[in-house]
Amino acid sequence: MAGDMLLAVENLSIALPGGADRAHAVEDVSFTVGANEIVCLVGESGSGKSMTAHAILSLLPERVAISAGSLRFKGRDIAGLDEPAMRALRGGEIAMIFQEPMSALNPLARIGDQIAEAIVTHARPVPTREALDARVIELVTSVGLPDPATIVRSFPFQLSGGQRQRVMIAMAMANNPALLLADEPTTALDVTTQKQILGLIRDLQASRGMGVLLITHDFGVVADMADRVVVMRDGRIVEQGPVDEVLRRPSHDYTRTLIAAVPGSRPPETRSRDVGREPVLAARGLTKTFSTRQSLFRPPRVVAAVRNVALSLAARETVAVVGESGSGKSTLGRMIMRLVEPDAGAVDFHGEDLLTLRGEALRQMRRRLQIVFQDPFAALDPRQRVGDAVARGPMAFGTPREEAMAEARRLLQRVGLKEGAADRYPHEFSGGQRQRICIARALALKPQVLVADEAVSALDVSVQATILRLLAELREDMNLAILFITHDLRVAAEIADRIVVMKRGEVVEQGETRAVFGAPAHPYTRELLDAVPGRHLFQGPHALAAS
Amino acid sequence: MDTLKAFSRHPSGMLGLVILIVVVTLAVLAPWLYPEDPWEMIGRPFAPPFSEGFLLGTDTLGRDVAAGIVHGTRVSLTIGVASTLAAVCIGVLVGAMAGYWGGGIDDVLMRVTELFQTIPGFILAILMVATLGPSIVNVIIAIATVSWPPLARLTRAEFLRLRGREFVQAATCQGERPLQVVLGHILPNAVSPIIVTGSLTIASAILIESALSFMGLGDPNLMSWGFMVGAARTVIRQAWWMSVFPGVAILLTVLAINLVGEGLNDTLNPRNARAGRH
Repeated sequence: MAGDMLLAVENLSIALPGGADRAHAVEDVSFTVGANEIVCLVGESGSGKSMTAHAILSLLPERVAISAGSLRFKGRDIAGLDEPAMRALRGGEIAMIFQEPMSALNPLARIGDQIAEAIVTHARPVPTREALDARVIELVTSVGLPDPATIVRSFPFQLSGGQRQRVMIAMAMANNPALLLADEPTTALDVTTQKQILGLIRDLQASRGMGVLLITHDFGVVADMADRVVVMRDGRIVEQGPVDEVLRRPSHDYTRTLIAAVPGSRPPETRSRDVGREPVLAARGLTKTFSTRQSLFRPPRVVAAVRNVALSLAARETVAVVGESGSGKSTLGRMIMRLVEPDAGAVDFHGEDLLTLRGEALRQMRRRLQIVFQDPFAALDPRQRVGDAVARGPMAFGTPREEAMAEARRLLQRVGLKEGAADRYPHEFSGGQRQRICIARALALKPQVLVADEAVSALDVSVQATILRLLAELREDMNLAILFITHDLRVAAEIADRIVVMKRGEVVEQGETRAVFGAPAHPYTRELLDAVPGRHLFQGPHALAAS
Repeated sequence: MDTLKAFSRHPSGMLGLVILIVVVTLAVLAPWLYPEDPWEMIGRPFAPPFSEGFLLGTDTLGRDVAAGIVHGTRVSLTIGVASTLAAVCIGVLVGAMAGYWGGGIDDVLMRVTELFQTIPGFILAILMVATLGPSIVNVIIAIATVSWPPLARLTRAEFLRLRGREFVQAATCQGERPLQVVLGHILPNAVSPIIVTGSLTIASAILIESALSFMGLGDPNLMSWGFMVGAARTVIRQAWWMSVFPGVAILLTVLAINLVGEGLNDTLNPRNARAGRH
C-alpha cells in the first residue's frame, strides 16, 4: 500500500495570527490519501478542514502559515516549496475545485479559452492550436456537458451553476492530475445537480485512478462518496477510518452527535399532533412573472416565477415547500409576506384578502405574519443592538420601550441565548445564534403565521437540528402556522406535516409528508428523493413510509 | 471609536487633519491675529515679504497679504462647508427618494440629476452668480447647485443596494413605517460613503469659490484667496508673493481636505478596513 501513497499530511499545524479566537487553525493533523481513493474531510464550519486543504497548495490567507509538520506528495515534502515550484504543481499534478464556481471563473472570458489556458500553463511543449482545441472539446465532453462545441464558446454567465462546476472540473482534469482537492464542490448546488456532480467526480476518479480529497460538512455526501473519512473538530482530528466503520460504528462522541444531527437520520416522529382544522391562511391562484428588458428592440424576457399556486396553512401546522433553485418557492413565500407583489391571486387571512390591503391596514396585518430569512448575517442590521432589533417591532405598534425591551430579553432567553445578548451587536454572534435572534425578532409580534425561507440552509447540520427543534417547540407554544421553504428534503421530512413540491413555478405534488415521500406520485418528486445524499446509510425521508 | 482609532493610524489622513486644524485655527483667530480690516491700505504698495513688518509683504494697493490670507480662510471654509452641507441635503434627499421608491419617481429624479450633470458645473456657477449677483449667499447657492448630483447618484446607489437587503425587509415586515425604515436602517448603513464624498466635495467647493473670486465674481465685501490671486495676476512678474501665497493657501487647504477624505474612506469603508487589518 505504501507505494500507492499519494499525499501524506504529517503532524500538520497551521498558526493563526494573534487576536484570532484560537492559536492554531489546524493542530497536529495527520492523514493520508492514496492513489485511487476518495478521502472525505468532514467537520463543521471552523473545524479547519478548508485550511488543511488550502495549505496543501500554499493557498493560505495572509499571515496564516504552517507552523509545524510536513505535507508529503509522492514522497516529496511540498510544505516549504517556493512559489515557482508550487505553481508547477497547482493545476498540474494537484488540481483543486471550489465551492462557488461562478467566482472561480473569469466572467469576461469564454469557457473554451479558460480551459485552454489551464492546459497551456502546464503542457510543455505548448500544444498546437488544433491539438489544444481538440483537447478542450475532449475535456468538456468528458465532464458530461451537452453540446461541447457551443459550451466552449459560451461565457460563464450563460451556464447554470451545475454546468459551471462541470467546467471547473474539466479545467482541473486538464493536466491529468494525480490528486484532486474538492472544497465543498456541491454545497452551492441543488440536490439533483449535486448528485450528478458527485457522480461525475466518482466516475473520473475511478477511470483515472486519481486520489480525491473531498471536503464537506454533509455526512450524506460522505456516505455516498468516501472510501475513508477524517472527522475534524476545532482544528484537530477526532476520528478517522474506513467509511462504513466511522459512520456505522463511530467511536467518538462528537462523530456520533454529528451523524445523529443529519436530518432524516432520526427515527421519524410517529405520534400525530393536534393540528388546527380551519386554515389560518389560504392562498389561491398566486401568480408572478418577472420580465427583464434586454434591449430596446428585443421583446423583454419573461419568466413565470410562480404560476397559479394554491396553498393553505392551519394553526400548529408546518407546510414545507420544496423544490430546486428557480422553482419559485422563495417568491411564493415573499408574495405571502407582501415583499413581492403578485400579479394575480388572493390570500385569505382572517376573512380578508391580504393582497388588497394598503397603507395602515397592511401594516396592522404585517404583525400577524412574520418571516425568517436564509442568511442570518444579512438579515440583521449590523448597526443595531440585538435587543433593539427584537423590540422594534412591538414598539412600531405602540408598545412602550421599557416593556418591549423586557419582552425582547425574555424572548432572547426563550430562543436559547444567554443573558446580556440584548445589549450586543449582531457581529458578536455565530450563525446559529443569529438565526435564533431572527426567530426571536419574528416572534416578538406574536404572529400567527411564520414563513421560514431556507431558515436552516446556511447552518451546520448540528446547528440545523437545534434550530429545527426550537421551531417545533415554538410552533406548539405559540400556535404558529409555519410555511417552511427549503431545498433540502431531509429537513422537510423532519419538520413538515405536509409537503408541497414545486417545479418551475408550479406545484407538481402536495400531500401529507408521509404520503409524498412514501409513495411519490410525480416523477419529479421521485427524482428529488433519489438525489438525497447518503440514502443507503441513513433512512432518509423514505423511512417515513415504513413507520 | 474603532473608526477614530483606525484613522489615527492613517499617516496621510493624520497629516491632512493637522493641516486642516491649523487652517481652522487661523480662521477662528483671524480677528485677533489681524484686527485691522484686510481691505485697509496700511503700508507701502509692493512691499516684498519680511519687509516693513509685513510677514508676507503687501499688494498693489498696500494691503497686508498675510491679513488677507488669514481672513480669506474664513470665507473659503464658510463657503466650502455651507455649500457642501446644502449639496448633501439636496443630494441625499433626491437620491434617497429615487433609490427607495424606484420606478417612475426614480426615472424623473435621475433625468433631472443628469440634466444638471450635462451642464458644465463651473459655467453654471458663473451664470448663477452673474445673474443673482455676487454675494456670499448666492455663491453658496451656486456651488451647492453644481455639487449635489454626484451625491444624489451615490445615495441612490446605496439605497438601491440596501433596499433589497434582508434586514431592511425584516424591518418592513415588523411593521415599521417607511420613514422609520429609511432613517433607522437604510441611512445609517449608507452614511459612510456619503461622508467621504461630502468631505471631498468641500475641497472642490473651495476650488470653485476661488475660481469665481478670481474672475471677480466673489462677494466684493469679503477678502478671499481667489480674489487675491486674481487681483495680483497682472503683476506676477514684479511681485510673485501677492499671488503665490494665496495660491499656496488654496493648495494646502484642498490637499488637506482630500487627505482627510481619503483617510476617512480607508477607515470607514469596511472592505478596505478589513484588508488593512489582515
